[in-house]
Formats: sequence, C-alpha cells, structure tokens
Amino acid sequence: MREPRSRALSRGAAWGLRLGLFVFCAFPLYWMLVSSLKVSHELLASPPTFVPHEWELRAYRKLFYETNFWTYFQNTVVVAALTTVIVIVAGVIGAYSLTRYAFPARAFVARLTLLAYMFPPIIMLVPLFLLARELGLTNSLPGLALTYISFSLPYALWILRAFFQAIPIELEHAALIDGANRAQALAYVVMPLALPGIIATAIFTFIVAWNDFLFALVLIGKDELKTLAIGINEFFHMAVVDWGLIMAAGVMVTIPALVFFVAVQRYLIAGWGAGGLKG
Amino acid sequence: MSVRADTLLLAPGRMRRRRREALIGLGLLLPAAALVFGFALFPVGYNVWLGFFAKHSLRATSTWVGLGNYAQLLGDPDFWRSVWLATVYAVGSTALQIVVGVAAALVLHERFPGSHFLRGVALFPYMIPTVIAVFVWRWLMNDLYGVIPYMLSALPIPGLPEAWLTHGTIMWVLIILSVWTFFPFVLVNVLARLQTIPPELYDAARVDGASAVRQFIHVTLPQLRNVLLIVLLLRGIWMFTKFDVPWLLGFGGGAGEAIRTLPVFTYQRSFTYYQAGMGAALSNVMLALLLMAVTIYFIALLPESENDDA
Repeated sequence: MREPRSRALSRGAAWGLRLGLFVFCAFPLYWMLVSSLKVSHELLASPPTFVPHEWELRAYRKLFYETNFWTYFQNTVVVAALTTVIVIVAGVIGAYSLTRYAFPARAFVARLTLLAYMFPPIIMLVPLFLLARELGLTNSLPGLALTYISFSLPYALWILRAFFQAIPIELEHAALIDGANRAQALAYVVMPLALPGIIATAIFTFIVAWNDFLFALVLIGKDELKTLAIGINEFFHMAVVDWGLIMAAGVMVTIPALVFFVAVQRYLIAGWGAGGLKG
Repeated sequence: MSVRADTLLLAPGRMRRRRREALIGLGLLLPAAALVFGFALFPVGYNVWLGFFAKHSLRATSTWVGLGNYAQLLGDPDFWRSVWLATVYAVGSTALQIVVGVAAALVLHERFPGSHFLRGVALFPYMIPTVIAVFVWRWLMNDLYGVIPYMLSALPIPGLPEAWLTHGTIMWVLIILSVWTFFPFVLVNVLARLQTIPPELYDAARVDGASAVRQFIHVTLPQLRNVLLIVLLLRGIWMFTKFDVPWLLGFGGGAGEAIRTLPVFTYQRSFTYYQAGMGAALSNVMLALLLMAVTIYFIALLPESENDDA
C-alpha cells in the first residue's frame, strides 16, 4: 500500500485500454445491427441516433422476399461444405503421413506446403480462370469449390501437421506394443487427441471458403449460382442504395460465423496458435 | 534428407520394412499432394509460362511475346503507381496491425473480469466476411450519413476533411478498415507466444528495478522477436497482394483510382481489358516479390531456430 495513487492511476489506465479495445472492435458491429433495424428516415437522419427511437424489420423482410439472398446463402453453404469435406479428408491423411511415416523428401514436401500456404489467391487467378474455362468449370458450384482447394488445402495441411506433431508418438508406440495394429492405434489413440485440431481446421476452411470474394467474382456469372459475397455486392447496383438492406444482409451473414465462433472458441484459439487463419 | 525420430518404426534397420513404410506414407500423402500440385503449384507454374504471351482472356489464341509484357510494364506509369499504392497500403496497414495487435495482446494477457468475453469480441472482426467488413465501414464513413465523420466533426481538430471516401483520404479509410479486420491475426499469434514467456524473467527484471516500459523493451520484445518476424512476413505479403478490400471499397463508387493497388491493377488488366498474358505477368511480379520476402525471412530466422514450425 505504498503507492495508492499511482496504482489507482495504472488501474484506471488498464480499464481505459480495455474499454478502447472493446469499442474499436464492437462499435462497427453494433452500428451494423442498429442500422439494419432503423426506419428509413431515421437511418438517414442527421445527427445519427445511437439508440434507435423506432425500429422495424422492413430491411429483413425485403432481404428475404425481394432479393435472391436465400439462394446465395444456400449456394455458399454448398460450396463451403464441399470445400471443407475435400480439404479435411485429404488434409488429415496427408498430415498423418507427414508426421508418422519416414520417406524421402518429407521435409521438402513440408516446406513446399508452407510456401503454397503463403501464395495469395491473386497469383493463381488468371491460370485458374483459364483452366476452369478449359474444363467447363465456370458457372459451377463444384468448380468453385475445387478452386478453393488452391488456398485452403496447403494451409489445412500445415496446421494439421502441427496438431499431429503435438500428439506424443510414444502413445502410439505403447498401443502397438500392447498388440493394437496400426489402424486401431490411429482410431483409438490418435484420432481422439487430434479431433479438436481437426474441428478447428474444418471451421477455418469453411470460413475461408464462406468469405471468398475473388474467385466467385471471376468464375460465377449466373445470378442463381452466386454466393453471398458477390450476391450482396449486387445490392449496390440497385437504383437507390438501400443501406438498411445491406446492413441486414451483413447481420444475416455474420450470425452463422458468430454461432460457429461461440460454439468452438476454445478450439479456434488452439488452432490459431498452431498456424493462424489465412486471409 | 534427415529422417526424424518421430516415425513409427518398430523394427528399424530392416530395409524391406522401411521401404514398405515409405510407400504407405507416400500413398497416404498422394491425394493431398496431387490436389496441392494440381490446384496451387501447377497454376503458379502455368502462370509463369503465360507471362510470356499476349493472350485474350476469353479467346483460345495466344502469341509469344517473350519479355514483351514486362518491357511494357516497365514503361507504364499506371503500373508503377499501383506498385507504390500497394506498398503504402501494405506498409501502413501491416505496421498498424502489429501495433494494435501487440497492444491488444498485452491487454488480454492479463486476467480481469470479462477478459474471456473481451477476447472473443477482439477476435471476431477476423471471422466476418471481407465483403461485410468493407460495407460496414463504407456505411460508417459515408460522406453524407456516416457516423464516424459526424463524431469527428464534433471534435475540435482543425483541418479534418468533411468527406472521407474521396481521393485524398480514401487510403486512410482503407488502412483503418484493414487494421480492424486483420489485427486479430497478430493478436492471436502474439498472445499465444506471451503465454509461454517464463515469469521468472519478469521477476528478475523487477528485482533489478526495471519499470513496466523497460520490462517490455528488454524482456517481452526479445521473446516476441520470432513471432513478430513471422507475422510481419505473412501480413506484409497478404496485405500487399490483397484484392478484395481495396476493390470493394474503391470501385463500388468511391475514389477507386486513389487505391488502385497492384492486385486491383492486375485484376483490371485480366478481366476489364481481358489481357490475360499481361495479368499473368503482373501476378509473376507479385510472385517474385513474395519469393524474395520468403528468402529474406528464412535467412533472417534460420540461425535462431532450425525447426520449420511457424
């Protein structure tokens, strides 16, 4: 109790920083939500109201009844789910191989994976577009999912490899010595321990595919095949830009991410520590 | 090629068994390797080849021009301007992401009531689709109805612009919005590293009478060196090559010319002017810069740690 004043000061400063971080991160989201619920004249009022006087669901009704939002939503779920299944199946067995088997050039393959993980999508844009046209994969949701492999698989391999490396090999040795065969050791020893990492990686993969704008912009032209990112972008091409509608779309796209995030936050943080989310 | 001790060899030294193991391992790797090769490495290689051609994006014909595309770029002031804008964007947004990310990590490293909740809130901007993040910021900064310009106008700061999405200031909006979206990447990586610093280091510094600031400079920062180098490299590469944020901010009605960075320029060459060969050449410029950055990174980091776990 020697320096009560300076201690109180530093406590005050700490809470100030915490509050600042909270406002910086949360205010844009709060503003998106209240903007989607305001009545039209209040939305454009000056000065803006921080707590709406009146609120209504007009923007949401318009979103669901007068736009193709629901179609975009379904398309995005299909593409993201397809990408995730392919990437996780190939990634898990690939990462298991990279951490449990000795073969020539294993370290080289790992390095190559890291390099591919760093490749930004824009570098592959022109060749993937030309190849997709050549193979008839433009205006196709499976075709779009295949192009997402280009950036999500290297990164999934890289993170899963870190997760598998963190599982002590001695546990499998012990299982083998106790008479288990290799498949049993994998099923009963490795997989339960790897599951949090696999879930985290699956979520990352899903979100990266869910968020993509560039490949969908280039590969999808038909409105009924558009994903959310490019579909919502079309809302700006209406005669009058309806900000309430756009904010409502933002809320509806953010909710699935929020649900995922809250449900699996501890897995996410484990995964982020291991390799980070690309973007 | 070194063979690590972490393989599952029960009877080492037996050639046939070892070869069988290697074959199984390669077989399991095959699907992933084929997909990575087919969808990432082969396209990048194909792109290098395409850079030597003049090719229309939608037609099958192409003409060999050798280094013609690159020669043309060297004399194109629009190209140099896009490189400059991408550099300003990458340097500005990466530096601020690191400052905000490290500060946030220091804030969240402590336990306090609500620290778990605040951590969730601070990570969340990274989960939001880029499109939504950009639209929300376009609305926040709107020239007529934006809430942030309104709040700023109440502050007694002279010389603040009235409209932000204009030629002179849109780069600032681009940088701030990118920091908001991407700083959680820095935050998570730094936070994970902070939790592994032995507390004894701080005890020793405190015994020596070091202030909080000196503890940060002399204990925390050296421990964070490697993770900051990795974060700097990855974020720098990804910000320099970021397409969707500047495109969605600037080309939906804003002052796009002022933020036409190299990736946006590349996209326009490829899909507005349909010059696929030129677009490929521009992508190759980015690839070359990326490989240079990675090489420098490995040289800078390898003496410190031999392992390849980023």
